[in-house]
Amino acid sequence: MEKQYSDNYTREELMAIEASRFIKSTDTVILGTGLPMVAAIFAQKTHARGINFVVESGSIDPILPSVPFTVADPIIGYRAIKTGSLREVLGCLVQRGLVDIGFLGGAEIDQFGNINSTCIGDPQNPKVRFPGSGGANCIASCVPKILIITQHEKRRFPAKVQFITSPGYIDGPDGRKKAGLKVTKPEIIVVTDLCVMDIDASTGRLKVTKLMPGITVDQVYQNTRFRPAVSEHMGVVEPPTEDEVRILREEVDPKRVYLKDCPKTPR
Amino acid sequence: MSKVSKEVKVMSAQEAVERFVFDGAIIGIGGQNVSRCAVALAHEIIKQGKKDLTLTGCNLSIHMDLMVGAGLVKKCESGLGGQGKFGATFQFKRAIEEKRMEAEDYDHLTMVSRFLAGEMGIPFIPVRGLMGSDILNYQAASTKKKFEIINDPWNQGEKVLLVPAMEPDVTIVHVQKADEIGNVLIQGIASHEPELIRASKTTIVSCEEIISTQFFRSNSDYTTVPYHYIDAVVEQRFGAYPTATYGYYSFDADHINYYQQCSRAGGEEYKKYLDEYVYGCETFDDFIEKCGGVKKLNHLQREMVRLM
Repeated sequence: MEKQYSDNYTREELMAIEASRFIKSTDTVILGTGLPMVAAIFAQKTHARGINFVVESGSIDPILPSVPFTVADPIIGYRAIKTGSLREVLGCLVQRGLVDIGFLGGAEIDQFGNINSTCIGDPQNPKVRFPGSGGANCIASCVPKILIITQHEKRRFPAKVQFITSPGYIDGPDGRKKAGLKVTKPEIIVVTDLCVMDIDASTGRLKVTKLMPGITVDQVYQNTRFRPAVSEHMGVVEPPTEDEVRILREEVDPKRVYLKDCPKTPR
Repeated sequence: MSKVSKEVKVMSAQEAVERFVFDGAIIGIGGQNVSRCAVALAHEIIKQGKKDLTLTGCNLSIHMDLMVGAGLVKKCESGLGGQGKFGATFQFKRAIEEKRMEAEDYDHLTMVSRFLAGEMGIPFIPVRGLMGSDILNYQAASTKKKFEIINDPWNQGEKVLLVPAMEPDVTIVHVQKADEIGNVLIQGIASHEPELIRASKTTIVSCEEIISTQFFRSNSDYTTVPYHYIDAVVEQRFGAYPTATYGYYSFDADHINYYQQCSRAGGEEYKKYLDEYVYGCETFDDFIEKCGGVKKLNHLQREMVRLM
């Protein structure tokens, strides 16, 4: 049967759905808050039913009915196999190497996939202070596949972040090895409202692999403060089906905790 | 003689803070984000004006922000300061930007590892994170030595990052259940608290209810932390409000949003919040009453029931 693509979806929704496509049913995923939470729960409700979530605050393999507010929302332990501790999740699963995918976000992401969630300006004298690492540094250091969902704005994509909170490839293909990190060549995938980029392990730099429907490479350049390489096999992100949009709105985020721009579900 | 005691440790929040919290103390704080923050104990510390505090933990949220906003904190040493979906901890953010407070950044696993070293009585511990990040390149002026990188003695050519043990002077946590002598049961996610409590020189625990020691003796696998580490047990229903306590009540998004509005505005508006909701409430029960009392709490309890 031919797919019934929806023509009624927001950019946010497609970002979440596209990110979810990188998750397989056999993956163990550490959840973060925001759109990543939407993407992961969407994956679990559609193509990746076997997926197993862990959450930094200590929840191991919960069955989340809909998106929680934060990683410490009491709903995060819903029907979990174990409600444990932060050490059990970030230490005994993430650091131990038993988690396949981590979701991260931040104020800045640079051409090497480094993330800043600490501050803008001189770190000893910050002009703007953000929350800080949380579990992100540990996840970026130890997990072999990192997914990032973010708005594509110039200020968010500098050539070099002002503070590396969570390391990508640091300064090039061997940056992580030189720094002493055990996972030397992680996959890093960035899904924005303009495109999908991933790290080319041979250069240690982000490369545009797909464009969002209707977006041009020039638009990506105009909104990025470095010039990303462009894949010779450039693709276009597949739009969501009507069914996917329905699941996203009605089951994953019915209260519009994260999907702010899309219409409310009638109740 | 060790400090371990099997005496009855039940006391009021006022007495516990008077006895165990002191000016200049390093205070471990439990709770994370919207869950089980030790808000009642934080209120008491603010009312007693304990100052020059260092706050340490993983995700420091509203209870940290209140103490920072009251001008009592000189340094935060943690994984993060924030309230997730509810936004920044604005007092924390502003105090750093205006250089009224130092921030010593680590990440969550490093902090919990430092507590793990503390609880086991060892001086430092290796972690796999932080290498290659700027977290290592900057430290607070007051920090003596943040980390050390050595060659792994057992694996040639590999580097190992060591971080120092952290043993807070006093930890404040809010839990579901404790008995009179300080056996503690944490339900739901435990965050960094088991390690934090055991690493601390003293711990004040507030709880939703005091249960019998016989309960622990009959269900000993339910003991999250035994009495050895606890110095004061404060019975305080809704002691984490406006954050949630799993099994008892959900968080109050309205009050947290109101707090955020005041904290973001700062100045007079924030002072008004503290005056009305902290200094203006003789007891934490008065604060709960002011926030909607039984009716509000019944509602939050029903929300929790729906989650379970």
